[in-house]
Amino acid sequence: MSVGAPGLLAQEERYERDFSAGVARSPWQLFWRRLRSDRVAMVALGVIVVLVLVALLAPLVVKLAGAPGPNVQDRNATDMFGAPIGPTGDHWFGVDPLGRDVFARTVYGARVSLLVGIVGTGIAVLVGVTVGLVAGYYRGWVDTLLSRLVDVVLSFPVLLLGIGIASACSLGNGCVSGVITPGVRTVILVIALVTWTSIARVVRGQVLSLREREFVVAARSLGASNRRIVVREILPNLTAPLIVYSSLLLPQTILLEAALSFLGVGVSPPTASWGWMIADASDNFDTQWWYMVFPGAALLLTVLAFNLLGDGLRDALDPRAER
Amino acid sequence: MPRPVKRALPLLALCTAVLALGACGSSNNDGGAAATVDNGSGGQRGGTLTLLTSQDIQSLDPGITYGSLDLNLLSSAVRTLYAYAPDNPTDIQPDLAASAPQVSPDGKTLTVRIRSGVKFGPPVNREVTSRDVKYAIERGFNPHVANPYASTYYGDVVGADRATGGPIAGIKTPDNQTIVFELTRPTASLLAQATVLPLSAPVPPEYAKPLDAKSPSTYGNHLVSSGPYMISADRDGDVLGNGYVPGRSLRLVRNPNWSAATDDRPAYLNEVDFRIGGSPTVSGRQVLAGDGLVLGDSPTPALVKKAYQTARDQIFFSPGAGSRYAALNTAIPPFDDANLRKAVSAALDREQMRRIRGGEIVGEIASHFLYPGVLGFEEGGGQDGTGADFLENPQGDRALAERYMRAAGYADGRYTGDETLQIVGLAGAPDSNDAQIVDQTLQDLGFKTQLKLVDVSVMYGRFCGVPRARVHVCPNLGWIRDFADPQTVLNPAFNGNFIFPENNPNWPQLNDPAINRAMARGELTVGDQARADAWGAIDRQVTATGAAIPWLWDRQPNVFSADVRCVPELWNQGHCDFAYTSLK
Repeated sequence: MSVGAPGLLAQEERYERDFSAGVARSPWQLFWRRLRSDRVAMVALGVIVVLVLVALLAPLVVKLAGAPGPNVQDRNATDMFGAPIGPTGDHWFGVDPLGRDVFARTVYGARVSLLVGIVGTGIAVLVGVTVGLVAGYYRGWVDTLLSRLVDVVLSFPVLLLGIGIASACSLGNGCVSGVITPGVRTVILVIALVTWTSIARVVRGQVLSLREREFVVAARSLGASNRRIVVREILPNLTAPLIVYSSLLLPQTILLEAALSFLGVGVSPPTASWGWMIADASDNFDTQWWYMVFPGAALLLTVLAFNLLGDGLRDALDPRAER
Repeated sequence: MPRPVKRALPLLALCTAVLALGACGSSNNDGGAAATVDNGSGGQRGGTLTLLTSQDIQSLDPGITYGSLDLNLLSSAVRTLYAYAPDNPTDIQPDLAASAPQVSPDGKTLTVRIRSGVKFGPPVNREVTSRDVKYAIERGFNPHVANPYASTYYGDVVGADRATGGPIAGIKTPDNQTIVFELTRPTASLLAQATVLPLSAPVPPEYAKPLDAKSPSTYGNHLVSSGPYMISADRDGDVLGNGYVPGRSLRLVRNPNWSAATDDRPAYLNEVDFRIGGSPTVSGRQVLAGDGLVLGDSPTPALVKKAYQTARDQIFFSPGAGSRYAALNTAIPPFDDANLRKAVSAALDREQMRRIRGGEIVGEIASHFLYPGVLGFEEGGGQDGTGADFLENPQGDRALAERYMRAAGYADGRYTGDETLQIVGLAGAPDSNDAQIVDQTLQDLGFKTQLKLVDVSVMYGRFCGVPRARVHVCPNLGWIRDFADPQTVLNPAFNGNFIFPENNPNWPQLNDPAINRAMARGELTVGDQARADAWGAIDRQVTATGAAIPWLWDRQPNVFSADVRCVPELWNQGHCDFAYTSLK
């Protein structure tokens, strides 16, 4: 992150001191020290922790705030023309046209965003790492095949593919004999399907270089099996780049969920989703700003926090990297 | 065999886009709006009116056109045998016809005399004869034209059951000024009314036949005018790329061959321009603030509120603009059980469904299916409803709903079945919000639901109009009459003989032998009062089944600029009639 030159110098001095004082630190301790000194990343981390807590404890948060549940339709919270009321003491963020509390829906919306973000990214990483490892390690026709597959998937127009799959699988028993069922699961699947490729490419590149390094050659000459080399020697060395790329992929998946929901093919109503709320509000933004601004701000804050933390992680894990 | 009436689609298409903020409606709470309809007389001649619309024209071919906006456009470019004056949506009056229709005593022959001196616009430039009307109707049966209502309303004409575009034996033209329809059943009165639909507008065979030979017919792109206005065209009559650029613009100019002596319409305007493609939110604001503009879309609820509060003379609420209801699928569990249907009806807060569309100004809460302005409305129960207890409380009656749940065998008043109900509604506010109210009501009664919100064509084309899609609930359906007869509202929508595998208009799939028999009798009933009685009774029967939940009788809002003297078409959805509207 944007740690200025003087800060970096001060950091180097500290490392020098530690070194001269003979303090031994593990790479993870070093990483944590570097991360902690990055104030922006720490603030972002704090925001994310709060978001996760809010999402996990959504019912409690809403109850403490004295707001009704996210799907409670209050017929008295709209005027005689059906126009929803703005922020008041009873409804901190106002209500939507159905009289539902925007605060409660924004809080519950964090659940969808984080769930889709974390699980979607998790699946994408799992698939991406597997494909990348196999392609990079075995090379040859396996690599050719998998790399072309990555090229093909990368050439899909992401949103169009997402809209197609989501609308085909979001009703009734879903598609592929019920494997892809409607709702959040479909969205997660669509997102994983279109995002694993970037991870696969990064991993493949890293593996191609790692597999020629001395420690791998050494392991191989000692008779280690391919599986052992991949799992015990190469994979641990991928941890740092994986953490960095995952943290940068996560906000992308959150935005993708919002985009799909905005287009009406994401999480199905009445489940509160920020993308859906923003879409719903867009017609009336000029007169009823509150039900676009609050979910919009929550989305902005979340994505920004993950991006800043991602940058911080990259700096902390690989301080030599050019930025 | 009659085919489904699909005008509900345009109604919903229009309402979806325009009502986005809340208004296809009707109400006597603001009776002033309907009471002060301008008939346009004494308007100022000249000027250009500009119509802003987000939707493109569906078809310019009078043999195909069925959408509200298209009917609005064609009503000033072609002349049907009979038509409604803009301020009288009930009584047909001669348009191309010279006098009232003559129905034979046995009701099986309809004779119409047509005016002399009416001329086609360029490039045909000759006088219209009865043979042009005969050809226009025959081509409706041509698969290249495939008129959506020809067999419904002209199906009783002798020979129409075998018609594929060639001459129909039962349509005779003894001379240039007379057309005679011979029918297999005594339905001539209904047929006379059906001629207000554009299929009866004359089409010159010598010009149209080569175009009709193509599949699909391209006559729409070469529309020959018979009314006061024509679509600007090149010398061969091709409008495409000239007066009409799909998705962008359309230009109506005066038809040089039109003679005021043959027409009651004043035709004040020199030109009408369509600007196609803007968003209703933006266009609506432009119309309210600008000059010489009308909005072709339904205004958003926010715009309706603004216009209602700050520019009352720039908004018109057209009564009798259709009805909205939620269909419950009676063909599959759980709603094959009438008690469960009635429980949902009883629980539903229909007042809230109206409020999110804009409140009282956009319509009356419906309690049956014949809506105000349609013959038989009073006989069907009028404003008070049919007396069905499950429709009595517009805010919903939870206790009554629980009683019906218990009657269906659910002792604690909540549904305990395992299946997940598929609900398919319309995307986009306020329709999506109405769908969510229905969804929430079902959940409150213990049903598990899966709500899917889709585009209007997908809703009808893939789900609600396709029985094998096995959708349980369609909350956002709408129906608008084809003309002032109650048969056009009830027959396709609730007759068991109209359940089709595709394009099914009987959305609840109601197949009640007693109702089917009553409708068969009602079709042949003659005389206004007798028809009102017959179809009013059918309305009560249908309502009592609980197969569908009527929730709104629409009053469609239309907005226009301050300098536009809009003469709304009450027979349509209150669009400004171009042949009567003028600029101040």
